[in-house]
Amino acid sequence: MGIEFLHRTLRTFSVVLLVFLPFGVYYFGVYPTLSILSGGVWGILNLLLLIRLVQQLVKPGGVESAKPVVLTLVLMVLLFVAGYFLLTIPRFEPWQLLIGFTGLFGILFLKALGRVLVKADSQPSAHSDIQKVI
Amino acid sequence: MDYQSMLSLALPLGVAIAAVGSALGLGKAVGSAMEAIGRQPEAAGKIQTAMIIGAALIEALTIYALVVFFIAQGKIG
Repeated sequence: MGIEFLHRTLRTFSVVLLVFLPFGVYYFGVYPTLSILSGGVWGILNLLLLIRLVQQLVKPGGVESAKPVVLTLVLMVLLFVAGYFLLTIPRFEPWQLLIGFTGLFGILFLKALGRVLVKADSQPSAHSDIQKVI
Repeated sequence: MDYQSMLSLALPLGVAIAAVGSALGLGKAVGSAMEAIGRQPEAAGKIQTAMIIGAALIEALTIYALVVFFIAQGKIG
């Protein structure tokens, strides 16, 4: 299970958000859907920056250049500021933002569960095609 | 002390406790990951992935606390 697992999770969650968009607008209305979508996008950006930061900082050989690390940290601070503004928008309910944000962890959990069920981290077997997909 | 005063004291305190807990957890996670990579540099990719998932979940805890703060803030005054 490498970094590509996280990238696949992010891709899956993006697709889930896109599929949710029309249904959400139809069943819940525009603002609740936008709120959930914003939470989801915020979560995606947060995980992307976290991946970048960990890849730059936690590796054998240490940090080569401080510039990209500082840039990632600045972007993270900007993301948190954006999160604060999202929370203060009157039409956006905080719990709806939270649902969008938590959706990413739901997808992460389901994908990890899928990997455990098909034993994707063990040796290749008859399920190897499924293992590649999950 | 009335209900609203107690809430306005408890809310920031709750976020602060969550932040301290997350900071301690994250510090321990990163420390252990660095130690593990130092011992087995060839497993760096797997360790990074596990660390990112752990860090994201720890970070989520603080964000949940912050959102609960915003939800409960509406009940003050």
